[in-house]
Order: sequence, then C-alpha cells, then structure tokens
Amino acid sequence: MQSNAKYLSLFLISFFILPIKAEFIGEISLDNRHFFNDGALGQDNNHSSVSFSPEIFENLEDDRIFHFKAKLRDDNKDTERNLVDIQELYFIEIGESKEIKYGISKEFWGVTETSHRVDVINQTDTTESFDGEDKLGQPMIKVSLERNWGNIDLYALLGFRERTYSGDKGRLRLPVLIDTDSPIYESSAKNKRTDFAIRWSHYFDEFEVALSHFSGTSREPRLMPSTKKLNHLTPYYEKINQTGLEALYLIGGLALKLEAIRRSGQGDTFSAATTGFEYTQVGIADSRIDLGWILEANHDDRLSSSPFVVGTRLTFNDSYDSQILSGMFINEKTEEIGMLIEASRRIASCCMISLEAMYFDDTNEDNGEFKLFEPFREDDFMRIEFIYYFGE
Amino acid sequence: MNYTNQIMRIVSCFFLFLSLTLSSSLFANRGLEIALLSDKNNEGYGDSSSSMTMELISKKGDVVTRELRFKRLEVPEDGDKSIAVFESPRDVKGVAILSYAHKQEADDQWLYLPALKRVKRIASKNKSGPFLGSEFSFEDFSFQEVEKYEYEYVKEENYLGKDCFVIKRIPLDPYSGYTKQLVWIDKENYLVQKIHHFDRKAFHLKTQTFDGYKKYLGFFWQPHKIEMKNHQNGKSSILKFTEVSFKKGLTDKDFSQNSLKRSR
Repeated sequence: MQSNAKYLSLFLISFFILPIKAEFIGEISLDNRHFFNDGALGQDNNHSSVSFSPEIFENLEDDRIFHFKAKLRDDNKDTERNLVDIQELYFIEIGESKEIKYGISKEFWGVTETSHRVDVINQTDTTESFDGEDKLGQPMIKVSLERNWGNIDLYALLGFRERTYSGDKGRLRLPVLIDTDSPIYESSAKNKRTDFAIRWSHYFDEFEVALSHFSGTSREPRLMPSTKKLNHLTPYYEKINQTGLEALYLIGGLALKLEAIRRSGQGDTFSAATTGFEYTQVGIADSRIDLGWILEANHDDRLSSSPFVVGTRLTFNDSYDSQILSGMFINEKTEEIGMLIEASRRIASCCMISLEAMYFDDTNEDNGEFKLFEPFREDDFMRIEFIYYFGE
Repeated sequence: MNYTNQIMRIVSCFFLFLSLTLSSSLFANRGLEIALLSDKNNEGYGDSSSSMTMELISKKGDVVTRELRFKRLEVPEDGDKSIAVFESPRDVKGVAILSYAHKQEADDQWLYLPALKRVKRIASKNKSGPFLGSEFSFEDFSFQEVEKYEYEYVKEENYLGKDCFVIKRIPLDPYSGYTKQLVWIDKENYLVQKIHHFDRKAFHLKTQTFDGYKKYLGFFWQPHKIEMKNHQNGKSSILKFTEVSFKKGLTDKDFSQNSLKRSR
C-alpha cells in the first residue's frame, strides 16, 4: 500500500507536467457475485464490489509514449479484495528497430487459453477472478530489439509484488487463511530484489515460437504453516530459475499450441506443460455465428493428476459483440468436474454487461486423491458485472 | 551463309512464333488484363494513414457507428503490410490487427488485446467471418491481390453514367466465403465501382459500391465511401474515410509486433 501511495503521488506530479492534450479515459465496473450455498466457513452469500480504472494515454512525440492506468477496487465483504494498484505508469522511447520501456507495466507471455504457465513477469491478483488472468503492475526496465532473426526482450524487474489472497470473509478461498502481512522471502533483499528475464520470439510462416528465461523471486509462493499466527499459512517466495517454451502452429483454421516450463529453486526441479488446440468454425449452419473449440491438457510434475479443459466460444458477430464462452474442467483421476459459462454483450456504445456462472461438482465421495476443488465445494456462484466506459 | 545458321534461324523463328501464340492466348484472357490494369491503381502510394468511421445500419434503419484508424505500407514484390486500430466503441478501443498480405501463400495476421496486453496469432483463413459485426467480412478488408483469383471477361455496361467493364473473378482460396464476384471497373481510370458477391450457394449475397474517388499524389485514386449491402438480412454497412494521407515516411518498423502493441 505504501509503495502504491508513492507511485500515485509520482503519477500526480507527472500528470501536471504533461501537456493537457492527453487522452483521459476510464471505466467503472459494478459487480455482484451470488453464491448458491453458505460458505464452508460461514461466509456470506452476496458479495459486491465496485472498481474504478482511470487511464491516460499519450503520444508525446513521434518517438515517445506515455501510458497510465490505475485500478481501485472496493469490496463490501472482504477487505483483502480491496485494491489500489498502478497497472501502467510508463514511458516508451522508440528507436530504430528497438524500444525502451521504463516504469510500471504489465507484460503477457504465452499462447494457450486455459492456463498461463510461461507468463511470469507480473504478479497475479487472485481475488479479482478465478482464472488468474488479472495481474498487478510491475516496475521494470524493458529493452526490446527487433532483428531479422526474431525479437529479443530484456527485462530488469525492480522490486516484487506480493500475491493477493481472499481474506477471512472472502469466498473461493482455502480453508486455512493466508497471512499476507508477513510473507517470507528466500532473498535477503526481500521484496526489493531486482529480477531478470529474457525472451526471444520469432515466427516462420505458420509457426510461432518463443523461448524465455526468468531468474528471480517466484511469483507463485509455496504456502508454509505460519510460525506467527495459529492456523494460518505464510506465503514463502523462493528464488527460482524458470525456462519457458511457447509454440504455435497454424494448419488452416486450426491452431496447435504448447507451453512448457522447467523450474528450479522450489524444492525439486519440476516441469509443467499445457498443450492443445483451438479451432474456429466460421458461420455455423449458414448463420453469421462463429463457433470456436478449445481443448487443452495439463501436466504438472507436482500433481499426481493431469486435468484437461474443453471449451467453446460462440461469437455472434452482431453489432453488440455478443459472445458466450463455456468451459469444462475435467480431472479424471480425482473424479472432479468444474464448469464455467460466461456471456457478455454491449448495451450501448458506453456500456457492457457480463454474466458468469461457475459450478464445482461435489457429488463424488472421497476416492483417496488430492482434490483440487475440495476447498471450493460450497462456492458455486453467479456473477453479474456492469461496466461503464467514460471519455472518448 | 552456312547450313547451321539457316537451321538456327528457322528454329528461332519457330520459338518466336511459339511465344507469340502463347502470349496472345494469355492476353485472350481479357478479364485478367482488365484486373491487372485496375490493380496498377494500387501501386506507388508508398504508405498511407487514414481515419474512418463504419456505420452499421439495421434493417429498420437504426445506425451504430464504429471508428478505426488504418495504416498501410506498400511492400514491393509482395502483399502490403497494414495495421487497423479500433477507436470505438469504447470496450474495443486499442484492439488492433496487424496483417502481412502475401501474393501467393496465406496472409500472416496478429490480433492485439490491450486488456490482457496479449498479441495473438490468428488464422487468416477464418476470413469469411464478419468484420467488427459489420456486413464486411475480413476478406473484404484484406488486399485483393490479382494472383488470388481467376478471371473471365463478362461484358460492358453503363453504371451510374460511367462506361464499365464487367469481369468475373473466382477466388482461388478454398477458405474464401465467396464462389464468385462480378466486378464493375470503369473504362476511364480502371477504378472498381461495384462488386456483386456470390456466397457458397452461388446466391447474390452482397453488393459493394465505391464512391467519392479522389486523386492523391497526382496519380493515386482513393475512394472515400464504401458501402456493403446484404440482400439476405437487409442490413448494410458504410465505411467513410474522414482523413487520408500518403507518404508520411512509414517503414517496416511501424508494422512490427512491438508497434502493434503501442499502436493506439
């Protein structure tokens, strides 16, 4: 929080020195999650939150860009879900076949849809949603070089952001609380350590490939029993080395995808991978509706089971950009099924509405396997979100 | 003059005759000839930057508007490079598509999603789907390289007071949403005036008209209004160019994946 306040004041200063022709836009979102059952730990069934994201974007000159985006969220039940985060506050200096970005930003690495194993630059905000796609801004200096043998990105990541976890009154949480107030770091520099990463990406006609390496404090902590608070877990952020591979191959309308990592520094060295395909049927049954299919299988040396996900995406191609996304998570070994359906459309040029429902199958008895969804068995929910966009 | 020389002369005469017959049979395809002359209009512009609005008009006449920016770079000996950036509606602001068109093989395309900060390679073969919910398909928006069609001359016809050639072209790409297109090209400047698009059932699905041609750089003709009428659902979409400029000195670096990410 303290460092965020520092960045916010930095932003306010930069706001006053910038010319006022900057583009000022933003969004306000209202969101309500209704859980069908009482929480396993007595939490409430209705949770609402409001978020505000102001954004400024400006081409300062032909070769310099400024971008600012903050995210503020207030939750009516879980204080751990409150957030003040600078998502973007950076400048880009554009040179001939190179660019330098410095400041706070988000960077995405990866090709698969249902899990993002290679993506390691930013910390995950697990309280925002279940999919792990919501990230926190990361201070960095990034140098990008464009060569005819591919693009090279070099990163110095200045300082570390802790992962967010739902609190006492929050839903979709582990039965044991996570003591986010006293994380443990392997590095003596704690959250002030500078981490490094490099990524090479290139494409050969229909084949896309990227190789990356990250050396620094793991964004994903191991959860250890707390020595300070009874019945709490403490996040333990270790120093890791992670090498990642991303590959994508297009055959007609079919995209074959692979993401794989090898990580050392968190106990035994392990590998993990996600692979699968995405295929889109354009204009099903002579309509203008597209139907996309996603199938992805997962492997992780740390788990005894290898779950897979089947998904469909219906794109209506209407003037409201209506779409319905559905997915089923299947873990054969543990006999678990999770289902997700998400529908969204524009209401007017200013506003979007989305509905999301999630169901965790909990009818199976104990089969001696470690069940991934066990903590969430009472957390089936429906979520409605309304987003208002302001500014041109 | 010796015997060998005489033989050589006869042989070379024979080859000359052969090449003449071959080329005349080539030019017998008058449709292709017209298409090539029309395609000449797409050469020499260097680079262009434009702002446009797209009006989506429902059957009842309700209008919603989209805004986008478009940058294009001429690539000699290959297809052009382009970036389309969406400005409105607000939820898609900053979404951008980078395309490298190719004369023979399939185009390379990447989609940038600013909310996730993700660049995603997309299958350019899914080209028959609607573009931004409009009556234009991705295919109508991409560059129509001459090499990607087969041609046939149809007739001459007067269209809106202009003497036009009508040619038929058949997309060679099996992923095209069209089985054939009839193209009206005026005789004076060889500019495309109208296209009838026939769907996979050979039904006349859409009519595309080109309006407000203006000359830039002293030779380059740019239409300022392109309308697409869908005869099946009664909807139409109108693309209006609000700002067009040429030769701003754009280069390959303005069409890289990094520039896609910062293109808004």
